[in-house]
Amino acid sequence: MGRTAPTYRQALEERMKRWDEFARLLTTPEDRAAFEMVRTGARRYAAQATYVGSPDLLEAILLSVLTDLAVRLRSGPTGTAPR
Amino acid sequence: MTTPDGWLLDVTESEDGRSVVLWVKDRRTERVRRTAVEYRPPFGVAGPRADLERLARHLAALPVVERVELGSGRPSLFDRRPRPVLSVTPTVNSGRRALARTVDALGGYETFTLYDVDLSPPQLYHLTHGLYPFAPVVGSGAHLTATEPPETIDYATPPLRLAPFEVRLAGERRGRIPPLDARLGSVRLGSTTLDGPEEDLLRALVGELARSDPDLLLTQGGDSFDLPWLYRRAAACGLSPREFVLGREEVGFAPTRQARSFESYGRVLYRSATFPLPGRFHIDRENSFLYDDAEVAGLVDAARLSRLSLQTVVRQSPGTCFTAMEMAHALALGAHVPWKKNRPEGFRRADRLVAADRGGVIFLPPVGVHGGIDEFDFASLYPHIMVRKNLSAETLECRCCPKSPIRAPGLGYRSCTRRVGLIPRTLAPLLARRLAYKAALKRPGIPREEAEGLKRRVRMLKWILVTAFGYQGYRNARFGRIECHEAINAYARELLASLVPAAEASGYSVVHGIVDSLWLRPIDPAHPPDPEVFARQMSERFDLPLGYEGRYDWIVFLPAVTHGLGVPNRYYGLYGDGEFKLRGIGGRRHDTTTLVRRFESEVLALFRTARDAEGVRALLPRALARADRFAERVRAGAWPVDELLVSHRVGQAPEAFVTFTDSVAALRQLAEAGASRGAGEVVRFVLLDRRSRSFRHRVRVAELLEGDERYDVDAYLELLARDAETLLAPFGVDRASLLARWHAADAPARSPYRSAEARAQLALDDARDPERTLFASDPVGLE
Repeated sequence: MGRTAPTYRQALEERMKRWDEFARLLTTPEDRAAFEMVRTGARRYAAQATYVGSPDLLEAILLSVLTDLAVRLRSGPTGTAPR
Repeated sequence: MTTPDGWLLDVTESEDGRSVVLWVKDRRTERVRRTAVEYRPPFGVAGPRADLERLARHLAALPVVERVELGSGRPSLFDRRPRPVLSVTPTVNSGRRALARTVDALGGYETFTLYDVDLSPPQLYHLTHGLYPFAPVVGSGAHLTATEPPETIDYATPPLRLAPFEVRLAGERRGRIPPLDARLGSVRLGSTTLDGPEEDLLRALVGELARSDPDLLLTQGGDSFDLPWLYRRAAACGLSPREFVLGREEVGFAPTRQARSFESYGRVLYRSATFPLPGRFHIDRENSFLYDDAEVAGLVDAARLSRLSLQTVVRQSPGTCFTAMEMAHALALGAHVPWKKNRPEGFRRADRLVAADRGGVIFLPPVGVHGGIDEFDFASLYPHIMVRKNLSAETLECRCCPKSPIRAPGLGYRSCTRRVGLIPRTLAPLLARRLAYKAALKRPGIPREEAEGLKRRVRMLKWILVTAFGYQGYRNARFGRIECHEAINAYARELLASLVPAAEASGYSVVHGIVDSLWLRPIDPAHPPDPEVFARQMSERFDLPLGYEGRYDWIVFLPAVTHGLGVPNRYYGLYGDGEFKLRGIGGRRHDTTTLVRRFESEVLALFRTARDAEGVRALLPRALARADRFAERVRAGAWPVDELLVSHRVGQAPEAFVTFTDSVAALRQLAEAGASRGAGEVVRFVLLDRRSRSFRHRVRVAELLEGDERYDVDAYLELLARDAETLLAPFGVDRASLLARWHAADAPARSPYRSAEARAQLALDDARDPERTLFASDPVGLE
């Protein structure tokens, strides 16, 4: 209501729609599972990404994805995937 | 303190447009006196002197203008020096707006700034005469003096006579659709019930009103049903407005405000027409957002502070009250209220906008059940920030303090250090008041009735304080400014970010946080920090009141059905004292069926016995068994249909729908029965056959329900499964597997509601091992 700029979460979901196009041409279950893992990572640190307040959406998304992957890497393969 | 002669209950506009009416309740006789006082308040026009002079000459010749006077003043809070102001008095009060529009148009909508146009004459009368609603007064007639200021905290509410009021039609059940020519059967007023032939009944009602003389009529749907029916029948019986008077003064039978639909926070709402009864208050519980929370005690408190009539307060939003309080403080400062906000947002670079236009910190909670979590909340955080940081339109980025040390983190907006802004001026007493009430509530041996009244005042104040922040960003808010809104958020974000390391240093790790609330877990469960000490230390350190809400034995954070990560505001948990806190689950929603509510309360009653996270997990098979039992009864077609009513708020005008939905079917059914509904109204219906294309067979609206309908079993199983999934998803329960278990027929083999990542992983597992069993990984053993 009354906002001028979309929230980070809104901007992220918009970008996610664009990423659907990328996912459509993934041809193996391995690729798709890995891709969804990246997507989860993008969403996981929305609070922190909002706090950055960067005009560069991709910077915020990358920080979130990379942090998520690093966490999973450190905690083993079944790491922290949501159901 | 002086003993008052009585109380000023209300000030209303009189029909002649030249005066206001004061309604004073005498302390000894408890009768209400009516005094009309000549009163026509002017409005102000500011602009270049030459233009004002020309305007004055032009207006003086108009018949709708009583008087014009050129003087000087500082109408705006931004004014440092006096400037010319033209004071314009219309011939009749009802002509204020039309005249103001003319003036605005004469100035080409830019030359003139207009002040005090849309304050009502009663509101201005209060403000210019040192009066307020429910003021204890001495004196008589128009010469009234309040014996205490409106801000007094420990005041006595006048003895108001409250009478429940209800109309019944002959041979009709309430809530059903009555035929248009239905006659009155009986009327209940207070403890008296009147009946008899219609005309006698109407006259008896007028007599009973005069005898018992209630100050306040309390109805359930009076604006939409009781009053319009009474007036319609009175007209049909040939009674005139002079003979049939429900207030303390004669009024016409037509409503003063027509019913309308409007949008608020993305929802379309509906407000009935209003029928004021001058001299008496009418509260329609269905037409009031605030009454159920605030009751009379809270409304009286808000009326005193806002100078708005109780009649207005009860029908408006808390935002209206807050705005009126700001207006009162502005006038007290010698300023006036701008008619149209003339303060566009300044231009700035896109990256600055992105950095500034952000809300508070909202974490994603870890999905699942967690034990031993402490919850902390800041009390009225945003209002406190506004007061502490002096955030107000005219004190932000002021010219007088270029070196101010009070700067919004990350944004740099400066706050004035020389004068206190209007918003802090308005808020500080409200915060103090709320605290004083809360402290009084803790007094030992406080009588129950008094405690109840104080609680209502606390709740009313809470609503007003909540609105205060939102109104900073609202484009039409008179004293709002978007930069204030941004600054408040910036301070709040900074605060939460500073709390993360502070909590860790005190022995807590952050589990979840939403703007002004924190959920913390002791890092070492064997030696948990003292939560009260932590709250006190943080309150001192940040100079903002952090309160300890309590320790959860366990709390369940729920996932989003789409991506499976936590949803900030969807959880349920059990405090150590046995109280539940529920957010965003079915039973909290207004549109939920009784079926779903019953299911939830059974599951929660079961979980109440769990003392920790492990205990909740252990109860899961029993929770599922409950779900099965519910499903069995639903499948047998044995559930009472009145517990299956679905409510739906109509989002648009009925003719605007392009697809055939359940609501459309319900609306058509109602229309066929002669009852039309507008956008924002609620329809309630039972689903009979969701696949039907016929509005008669698809649903049955509540108003036409007979009780022996056959409902759509699959539709209700689906609702039940969806709710069970909401509550139990963190434990591996999903809708599709529940449905498969209940009726197998055409349920999808695998849940479409798992997160995208989980689905992709399942597909990968399938590809690797096609033989693997469907629910092998399921922790609850659905097979």
